[in-house]
Amino acid sequence: MGNKLVTFTDQQFENYQDCTFFTRKEILRVFKRFREVRPDLVPKQMKKNQAVSVRIPLEDSIEKLPELHENPFKKRICEVFSRDGKGNLSFEDFLDLLSVFSEQAPRDIKVFYAFRIYDFDGDQHIGQEDLDQAVLLLTKHTQELTPEDRQQIVEKVIEEGDVDGDGKLSYMEFEHVILRAPEFLSTFHIRI
Amino acid sequence: MDVIKCDCKFSASFRTSQVMSGGANRKKASRSQGWEEAGSEFYQESYPIDADIEVLQKDPKHLATLLPSKQNRTAAATIRHRTNDTRTNNRTVRRRTATHSRRDSTVQRRASAAGEVQVSMLPDLSEMRTNEQTSWEEIMQIKTLPLPMREKKEMKAKILNEPNLRLQGYEQFNWKRRKMWGVLESRLRESFNEMELWKGALKHIEGNFGTGVVAFFLFLKWLFLLNTVIFFFLFLFITLPTILLDYERLVNCPYNATCCAEGYFNETLSENNVFLDLIQGTGILERTILFYGFYSNKTLSYSLGLLQMYYNLPLAYLLIIILCFAISLVAIIRSAAKGFRERLIEGEGQFYQYCNLVFGGWDFCIDNEKAARIKHKALYSEIRANLETEKIKEEKQSRTTQEKCRIVFCRFIVNTVVLAILAGCACLIYLVFDFSTNKLAESTSRTQTKELFFEFLPSMTIVSLNIVVPFTFTFLISFEKYTPMTVIKLSLIRMVFLKLSSLIVFYMSLWRKITCNKVDESQCVACDEIPVCWETFVGQQIFKLLLTDFGTQIVITFVINFARSQLARHFDNKIIKFLGEQTFDLPKHALDIVYMQNLCWYGIFYMPMLSFMAAVIFLLMFYVKKFACLVNCKPSSVIYRASRSNSMFMLVLLVAYAFAIIPIAFFFAELTPSKSCGPFRDKGSVWGLIVDLFKRTPEWLQSVIFFLSTAGFAVPCIIVLLLFLYYYTAVNSANKHLVEVLKNQLVLEGHDKQFLLDRLSLFIKQDNQKRARAEQNGGRGDANT
Repeated sequence: MGNKLVTFTDQQFENYQDCTFFTRKEILRVFKRFREVRPDLVPKQMKKNQAVSVRIPLEDSIEKLPELHENPFKKRICEVFSRDGKGNLSFEDFLDLLSVFSEQAPRDIKVFYAFRIYDFDGDQHIGQEDLDQAVLLLTKHTQELTPEDRQQIVEKVIEEGDVDGDGKLSYMEFEHVILRAPEFLSTFHIRI
Repeated sequence: MDVIKCDCKFSASFRTSQVMSGGANRKKASRSQGWEEAGSEFYQESYPIDADIEVLQKDPKHLATLLPSKQNRTAAATIRHRTNDTRTNNRTVRRRTATHSRRDSTVQRRASAAGEVQVSMLPDLSEMRTNEQTSWEEIMQIKTLPLPMREKKEMKAKILNEPNLRLQGYEQFNWKRRKMWGVLESRLRESFNEMELWKGALKHIEGNFGTGVVAFFLFLKWLFLLNTVIFFFLFLFITLPTILLDYERLVNCPYNATCCAEGYFNETLSENNVFLDLIQGTGILERTILFYGFYSNKTLSYSLGLLQMYYNLPLAYLLIIILCFAISLVAIIRSAAKGFRERLIEGEGQFYQYCNLVFGGWDFCIDNEKAARIKHKALYSEIRANLETEKIKEEKQSRTTQEKCRIVFCRFIVNTVVLAILAGCACLIYLVFDFSTNKLAESTSRTQTKELFFEFLPSMTIVSLNIVVPFTFTFLISFEKYTPMTVIKLSLIRMVFLKLSSLIVFYMSLWRKITCNKVDESQCVACDEIPVCWETFVGQQIFKLLLTDFGTQIVITFVINFARSQLARHFDNKIIKFLGEQTFDLPKHALDIVYMQNLCWYGIFYMPMLSFMAAVIFLLMFYVKKFACLVNCKPSSVIYRASRSNSMFMLVLLVAYAFAIIPIAFFFAELTPSKSCGPFRDKGSVWGLIVDLFKRTPEWLQSVIFFLSTAGFAVPCIIVLLLFLYYYTAVNSANKHLVEVLKNQLVLEGHDKQFLLDRLSLFIKQDNQKRARAEQNGGRGDANT
């Protein structure tokens, strides 16, 4: 065995491989990126409970992870995947995040998490405020769209997607719409 | 309690608080009278019961939150259900095991109403007990569940801890085999990921330009791999046997014919220096394995020990070429079918334009600040454009007839001009080709540079036309006032026509060069004007064209466009910026690539090693295009969608494939191979080889094939196919109608639900008020006594 520093035990590897879409090498790569964000917080070897307990605060992950840094929904993504709901990611949360965004993840799981990400207020529906927030985030750093324009877009989206007439998109309606969006699968992924 | 049948993708939804440990369930047993406690394997759904109704009565607004469709879908579980055994008090619930294939995770569950049906059946051990295979399958399914990691690990631990039957005999063998295969697959995938070509470059481009542009580079990679496969086949079955077995270069002379081949191979080579020969394929390269002319028409024989084996080289040559074309076609169709299926789904209903923009607009791969800003801007412009389109549509309605006429007239003029330009290009290419071959045929002495100039003149004309004319097209299309999407499509169509029709003209001029008016059978060469081995000549022309095209690409990318982009970057002058700034125009670059692939396909018959050259060229083109993309261009404000790009590439490739295969088929059937070289030198046409072979097959086979080609077979076949077509069209339209009906029904159900909720909350409110009044009266009554 020598002086080889083993990051995870075999048991941990097997668990992670069964619970995510990653191979061993990819898991190690993910860990390396995780560690690069806060080398002081994250130890070189992860014991079982550390994988859950060691958390990187929201601001650091948003600033230092290039994959998330430019994403307009970065805050919401971290909130959805973190256990405390506030955006502080542990290693397992981070692994989960990247697993869902990987290429092998099937469409269903991506749709599920996309719904949760776009549902900013967490009421299991994508309502007008959620959509307004999304449009605002998408066009940040540019000329501002007037509130009337935003309202028009929000209304058009709801008009297209809402089937049962309650003025907001439920999970089923969202799923129906997303299945018809050809770009969703190709844009909703992060390469590590 | 009601009978519940749940049929959903992620199985039952359940309250997170109620699951996971048998202990928790047991505590809740008293609450959920209708549900059997089943220990840790039981995932249940809880509907409002007495305890909940009390909560309801306090506040009717809670009612809506108790609806099943609003249950928290965070925990999707229930992979399997099992029979309950005697842990319960005389009530057993029978559940069906979930059978899962890898892909299908639909679960059906039926829970019998405990109150009404008292079924005490002993569990059926043989059917219901888990075994290793099912538990392994379940573990494989865990990763598709949308649960946080902690819960997934708990679920896995639970599945592992349950008692398992070991499988016996055949089943065990089957299962072990599947498990091994799964492990092998993941290992292979891991090693393939390591070896993936150009992974870093693709990620870099993706981060900067988005997935639409990456689709182009993936297309390039795909073509590279296709060419490598074609080369592999050609080398293995044609070149390698020739090298190994035909080394003696014995030229056999068929009796009764003059030995033309001998004359051809003993001819003195033209005197040129090596470099010129390399780029033109003449001289020392001419009579090598590179070109068609080298391959012999004999059946090569070799001995394996005591057996004498034969290898029919002409037949192999023909069949391998056909195989390569078939492989290309299958690869294209498979790739196109994937995209086509998606577009069919998309085009079936409406295209959710705004939803697609908001939910699928942002590319999650972008990791670069500059690119992110540009993407934001692009999204903003697209949103703006969509809002404008609404206004334009309204404006279009209100267009007067006069304006409409003017626009139609304009479009008509522009289309005529475009056709005229295309015709002009065709004539020009033809004349230039004629002119230069005539000049070369004149035997007056010329300097080497002049000779080189005339050799390459046709190729250079084609290439320069391909560069200049698209600019004219872009200029003209601005007069036609189409929507942006139509502009892109129409420009692409016109450029496709330009490039591929120039190729057609090229082929036709070649054809004129190699056919004769009067055929002289007795000579080795059919007439004096054509070259002795015309297939090699054609191969050389295509080789020159491919090389010129590649060279021009390099010069343009690294010299001209680079200079332009550097100028635009360092100077702020408006004119310079206009000339210098370029965006990565996806259709144009895709067309360049497809054009090269077309040349390669057409040329592999005349020059089998062209596939190797094409593979090398595509390898280098990746880096050339990468340079063009990353250094010369700035991210464009047009959002290229990956799926649309893919289908566009495949469509254009299919058109190019058709343009390549039609002349080849014509050649197979009609033209006479040259007598002095090549594997088909003694046949009347290439297809004659197949005909000869066919004549040697048994009688019954011949009669069957004859029958297949008669009208007696073809007409019923066509009728049956038409019937199938009609049937599927009818089914298709019926399905569309059904979708409409279901959509309407869904809307009505939504309204019904709303109505019922309103009534129910009203009723509860009234009930509350009545109760409050009754309490008040009772209290007053007490106070009075």
